Amino acid sequence: MRSIVSAWTRTRICLQVLFALAMALSGPAARAQTLVVIVNPSIGVQHLTRREALDIFLGRYRTFPSGVSALPLDLDVNSAERRLFYLLLAHKDPADMSSYWARLTFSGKISPPFAVTDARMAVDIVANNPNAIAYADRSIVDNRVRIALELTP
Amino acid sequence: MILGLTFASFVSTSVDRREQQREEIRLQELLATVERTAQIACYLNDSKLAAEIAHGLISNRTVSGVSITSGATVLSRVGNTAAVQADPSRRSVIARQVYSPFDAHDSVGEIVLFVDRAKIHAAASNYSRAASLAMGLQVALVAIGVAIAVYFFTTRPIRAVTTELHRIRFDSGTRLSVPASNRSDEIGTLVADVNALIASLADLLTTERELRISHEVGERKLRLIVEKAETGLFVLDQRGVLESWNPAFIRLLHLTPPQLPQSGVTPLQELLPSDAVRLSQLISQCLSTGQSYDLDIEMAMGENARTGWIEVTLNPIGPTALQGVLNDITERKQSELHAQVLASQDTLTGLLNRRGLDVRLGAVFSLLPAGSALQLALLQIDLDHFKEVNDAYGHEGGDRVLRHVAKILERNARRGDLIARPGGDEFVIVLIGITDRFKAEQIAKAVIADIQQPIDIGGQYAHIGASVGIAFTSEEGDSPESLVRRADSAMYSAKKAGRGQVHFAPDCVPSQANAVA
Repeated sequence: MRSIVSAWTRTRICLQVLFALAMALSGPAARAQTLVVIVNPSIGVQHLTRREALDIFLGRYRTFPSGVSALPLDLDVNSAERRLFYLLLAHKDPADMSSYWARLTFSGKISPPFAVTDARMAVDIVANNPNAIAYADRSIVDNRVRIALELTP
Repeated sequence: MILGLTFASFVSTSVDRREQQREEIRLQELLATVERTAQIACYLNDSKLAAEIAHGLISNRTVSGVSITSGATVLSRVGNTAAVQADPSRRSVIARQVYSPFDAHDSVGEIVLFVDRAKIHAAASNYSRAASLAMGLQVALVAIGVAIAVYFFTTRPIRAVTTELHRIRFDSGTRLSVPASNRSDEIGTLVADVNALIASLADLLTTERELRISHEVGERKLRLIVEKAETGLFVLDQRGVLESWNPAFIRLLHLTPPQLPQSGVTPLQELLPSDAVRLSQLISQCLSTGQSYDLDIEMAMGENARTGWIEVTLNPIGPTALQGVLNDITERKQSELHAQVLASQDTLTGLLNRRGLDVRLGAVFSLLPAGSALQLALLQIDLDHFKEVNDAYGHEGGDRVLRHVAKILERNARRGDLIARPGGDEFVIVLIGITDRFKAEQIAKAVIADIQQPIDIGGQYAHIGASVGIAFTSEEGDSPESLVRRADSAMYSAKKAGRGQVHFAPDCVPSQANAVA
């Protein structure tokens, strides 16, 4: 039962990834397909594993593996990047994600990452804030920030 | 009832076990329900969320304690989780690994339920008790229903039929009535069968009664026949003891009251003492051969001592019993005797004829004691000149002469002597028990002298004579034939010697008695 469910989940996620890609590719500008997790270079984080990134964005840890406090930034809830990011990172669709956070809102201890409306703003915040961590399409990332993780479909 | 109780207890045990299994499954499902939240709580080490889950779980009555841990950290612990090891039989533990909501292989914690078995058991008991009660109630209702149905549809009609059957009289022609509600079922069939049985029984009784009546009539007839029969009928045992008899039996035997037989006591031989030995022989002969035998018995007929004859016939009717028939044959015997006399008599003279002489002489011979001498003398008498008388006066004259001669012989012979006319004009006198030859000669001479007298034949007189030959019985080996022959030849010699003479047979001529008149 469990394996069937997870097989179905995997299939669903794959379909959604493809759907998201199709959405991204059909955009007016020819954007690169790769999302990247970016950190401030001064924080000393060279590289993050997918798991480490997941734990930070999903609220398990609010620190980098080195123990330094981490401030995750989310993109707009309706953005294609956000949708694709959680699909690739946590294998969760937006509905799953909102359900996840909804369960946590009443405990009050953990709140979802602060959301910014624009990916460029997120890049700017990371570039200016050593503790910030965000994700963005690789095409808009510049060398003010360090790419800690690449997420490819 | 016992079956019901056994079944109920079986149901109770199985319900108990099943209820426990069901409770276990229910708890597993309960855990599955909260799994997602638990995953998140463990993933985030969120003790508040974990506490929420734990309180939710412990609100189940069978859950006595809940523990949610993430690694070494206890996120939440509620209820009684301490006594797990103290009494493992009463409590059990359902533990479930909690995986990360984002990675099914990453274990982030554990959720443990402490289950109160006693409570499960109690719940199961309640449930099974209720089930047993319901089932018992159902069984009881069914039993009552069946009992009522059996009473109304089987017991009551059968009892009605039985009561009727008790009262019924087979000869009155009454029949059982079929209960209205059972006309077409087995009870109806049974009643119909019983009615058929009663009908055939009644027929049988009627036939039997008619048979008995006709049998009684027949028996009465038979008894009347036996009672009124002229023939004496009786039954004997193997010793001759009388068992039963009819009135004719008593009558024929001329028994007077003191002589009357007693059944089972008096033997037939006692009633006929003179023939007792012959009767005993007859009985044993009859029984040994299995055939009928009869016996003629001469007896005194009643007070006047008239002699009569009865015939006893015995028929064996088994190894130890005989049936007897008694008939008065006096008349038959007399007519037999009469016929015998007729056969042996000369019708003209009333003397013995030749046949009569032969029979009587033979009988006399057989009575002679062996070795006795000179006991019979046979006188052969032949008439002389009889032919002339016949020629002169015809047969009637001849017959008168013969009758006259017969009277002469009867006059001269002694009582008991045999006198015969064997044929024509020859006569014979047998002197029985004579010891004196001379006496014989005297008789012969007297006869000759009488015959020589003129004979009146109706106004005329016939003159005849006679020649006599005498023979005596010899001492040994004599026979009637020899005696007759010797007398005959003596007679011829007398005739040759010139008629009117007496000659003795030569073998025994007495010297002194040879004189001739």
